[in-house]
Amino acid sequence: MSNKFIGKSVKRIEDKRFITGKGRYTDDIVLPGMTYAYILRSPYAHARIRSIDYSAAEAMQGVVTIMTGEEVGHYGVPCGWQVNFKNGDIMKEPPHPLLVKDKVRHVGDAVAMVVAETRELAQDAAEAIIIDYEVLPAVTDASKAVLPGAPLVHDDVPNNICFDWEIGNPKAEVDEAMASAHHITSLDFVNQRLSPNAMEPRSYIGQYDNVYDKYTLYTSTQNPHLIRLLMCAFVLGLPEHKVRVVGPDVGGGFGSKIYHYTEEALVTLASKKIGRPVKWTETRSEAFQTDAHGRDHVTHAEMGFDAQGNIVGLRIKTFANLGAYLSTFGTAVPTYLHGTLLQGLYTTPKIHLDMTCVFTHTTAVDAYRGAGRPEATFLLERLVDLAALEMGVDPAELRLKNFIPAFDGVTQPGYQTNVALQYDSGNYHSVLERGLEMLGYENFRKEQAEAAKTNKILGVGFSTYIEACGIAPSAVVGSLGARAGLYEVGQVRVQPTGKISVFTGAHSHGQGHETTFAQVVADRLGIPMEDVDIIHGDSDTVAFGMGTYGSRSLAVGGSAIVKSLDKIIEKGAKIAAHKLECSADDIEFKDGKFTVKGTDKSLSFGDIALTAYVPHVYPANLEPGLDFSSFYDPTNFTYPFGCHIAVVEIDKETGFTRVKRFIAVDDVGNVINPMIVDGQIHGGLAQGIGQALFEGVEFDENGQITNGSYMDYTMPRADDLPMFELDRQVTPCPHNPLGVKGAGEAGCIGSTPAVVNAVIDALWSAGHKVKDVRMPMTPERVWKAMQPA
Amino acid sequence: MELNGSYVLPASTQKIWEMLMNPDTLAKVTPGISRLELESENVYKAIAEVKIGPVSGKFEGKAEVLHPVVAESFTLNVHQNSKIGNVSAHIKMHLKAVSENETELSFAGKAHMSGLLARTGNRVMSGVANTLTKQFFQNFEDELAAKEQV
Repeated sequence: MSNKFIGKSVKRIEDKRFITGKGRYTDDIVLPGMTYAYILRSPYAHARIRSIDYSAAEAMQGVVTIMTGEEVGHYGVPCGWQVNFKNGDIMKEPPHPLLVKDKVRHVGDAVAMVVAETRELAQDAAEAIIIDYEVLPAVTDASKAVLPGAPLVHDDVPNNICFDWEIGNPKAEVDEAMASAHHITSLDFVNQRLSPNAMEPRSYIGQYDNVYDKYTLYTSTQNPHLIRLLMCAFVLGLPEHKVRVVGPDVGGGFGSKIYHYTEEALVTLASKKIGRPVKWTETRSEAFQTDAHGRDHVTHAEMGFDAQGNIVGLRIKTFANLGAYLSTFGTAVPTYLHGTLLQGLYTTPKIHLDMTCVFTHTTAVDAYRGAGRPEATFLLERLVDLAALEMGVDPAELRLKNFIPAFDGVTQPGYQTNVALQYDSGNYHSVLERGLEMLGYENFRKEQAEAAKTNKILGVGFSTYIEACGIAPSAVVGSLGARAGLYEVGQVRVQPTGKISVFTGAHSHGQGHETTFAQVVADRLGIPMEDVDIIHGDSDTVAFGMGTYGSRSLAVGGSAIVKSLDKIIEKGAKIAAHKLECSADDIEFKDGKFTVKGTDKSLSFGDIALTAYVPHVYPANLEPGLDFSSFYDPTNFTYPFGCHIAVVEIDKETGFTRVKRFIAVDDVGNVINPMIVDGQIHGGLAQGIGQALFEGVEFDENGQITNGSYMDYTMPRADDLPMFELDRQVTPCPHNPLGVKGAGEAGCIGSTPAVVNAVIDALWSAGHKVKDVRMPMTPERVWKAMQPA
Repeated sequence: MELNGSYVLPASTQKIWEMLMNPDTLAKVTPGISRLELESENVYKAIAEVKIGPVSGKFEGKAEVLHPVVAESFTLNVHQNSKIGNVSAHIKMHLKAVSENETELSFAGKAHMSGLLARTGNRVMSGVANTLTKQFFQNFEDELAAKEQV
């Protein structure tokens, strides 16, 4: 072990190819004889298909084949997580066919696939397909879809309810606590639907090799092995050893590329059918309609306080929109990734969430950066800030009063919440105190009072969050309905010359694994970083791994690599002991050298590697080679936390809101590469602020997406954001070997409520005592909030 | 999308009615319409080419006149299909004599769009509809003037 790289902002190895335009994404791959697919999609949110006539399209030049629901409609993609109704009944799980036969259920539902010699010919032919639709009424709002008489998405799912669910203390206990409360803050709000907007659109290539009877799927995914498992075992019934799934460079996912999409199976089937490779790449317009959306909750929440300002209870009713079909993790996001976080950082003694998960005529909803945890944080942090305003107390003091006291998880036990989880370690007061210090809180309140007299009012919003990351202990998630384990694999192959190939089941789609993992390996083995190569994304080279989401890569995938490194060092010591004629216990490994303790007799790591593969002088009973593979299954989630503070300035005349300052003090455990962690926080903050001020998928009354392009859907841009003021605190994770907690989602989880709270604080400072401004808080909405009712 | 408005045209209600019921005239004055054929009584086959902001397309479909009351009112049902999405509209038209030679033509209804048409440029759509309506009435007036000269 040396300390040359860990904790240093080493520049990202992968950036050389990315910023010189040499990244190799799925759409960059061109195979001999390749054909191109175009998918004909429904222009309606809900319609019966009376007939499909593709005779003219089939006759067009360059068309190789046309597939419809008639041919492949019996295949469908599965849901990865079973959640049961409160009464124990299994959730409603209607089929999600690769192509629909009878009825379309959202705008963009796939009806036919044309395969042709070029993409343009495929599109031209698709447009010559005549479909006779009987348009039916649609419903897009989850809270309205459950009402009697609402149009049904699936005929056999009454009231469009996939399942209802609850978590926390018994409802009666919470009702009792609320009845005794001195003050209750209640809030009705919408956590709006977001489009994921990965920079690289989805792209797939199916390739069937009839000589070896083998399929290859190139896919823009976050989890190649999971896609292979789902497609082989649950969709197409293919033998897994005859299917190779490759996820090459992937340009962003944010959760939307966890989902096993229908098109992955479609190109695989089509390539077998025609005996040629089939590529499909979506347009940006298709991305808006079909990439799994995020969030979309309609909530009524109440938080009760005693006369001293202690939280006594939390009672919530939420409708979560799942879309028209179940995505891979769509059912887990509003339940186990959301309800379990409702303790937040507070000692709230009684909590109850009543959740109804609902089908609507909309795009499927799945994980989106934070996945359920941002929704939980939003709910808690809005309530706490609003309660402070209503009760006339300071929002920071109200938090400090209700925070869980610090605990390290080593000498003190973890904190058992009322919503199933046990937090690993935390020190919540200090992140808020540091945030207040960075803000200059007292001065700010003076500045705010002055500004309230002008046309540019100021507000400050706090958000103190916790998340459950490092997903996840398999036994725990299995008992909660997950249909997969959530361990990770890490194989370290020492080559005879001492160079290292690391195979990881984690999959980078922008996170910088090739750098961070190499830093860990280089330091543990005391070798230069350039001697380490990180290989991921190919199911034929990497053992079965679970991919990247839930801020898990380093905490789970990194830990698997560390386990293998430990085995290498242990075996290396035995080889060294034999050569140096001592006992293995006398060998010490440091800075890349195996040394006999207390002597200058040593062998370099390279010497040992060569000996392992040229075992002429070698211990008896020891296998040659230096190559270990390990699976790491975490014992608990990790729990990063932090404090985000937004300062906004609102123009009273126009309602235009500018984020003036954004302070983030995050505790993500130990940090391997501070620059990469900062980058992850920056990106997350941009997305979280984007939700507060700019983004949101809008539907019209017929279920049409009315802002499905970059001219209509507002993305946060650099000039919308201030220079972020970041700081960090380190409370190591007590249960993984690197002490890391995960940083991928933190920025997105904490930031949204901070901005909304800041806007509400500004409005109250100017005498507009509104409870909420609906997100995205456009100038129009903020301006309206300042007009007399 | 809500569609409504009114316009005073310099001709009698009878004359306006006749022009509105004449497919050749209508094809001439309606912006974007390239062909309008009478398919059966009160049902027209329409082909139009429209460019709205960033999206343009060729539309094919039907226009149907319902509940005609001569020189007074009718309802127009339009359903147009295109590669960039479909439009259906249901519009009530009223003719009211302002004076012997002036008629107020008013309309009120709704249009529904789907596909790319709905997703892209939706927020500029009602502006585009206003422009097209204005153009329609301007063309109508020009056509009236031309008829006068003949």
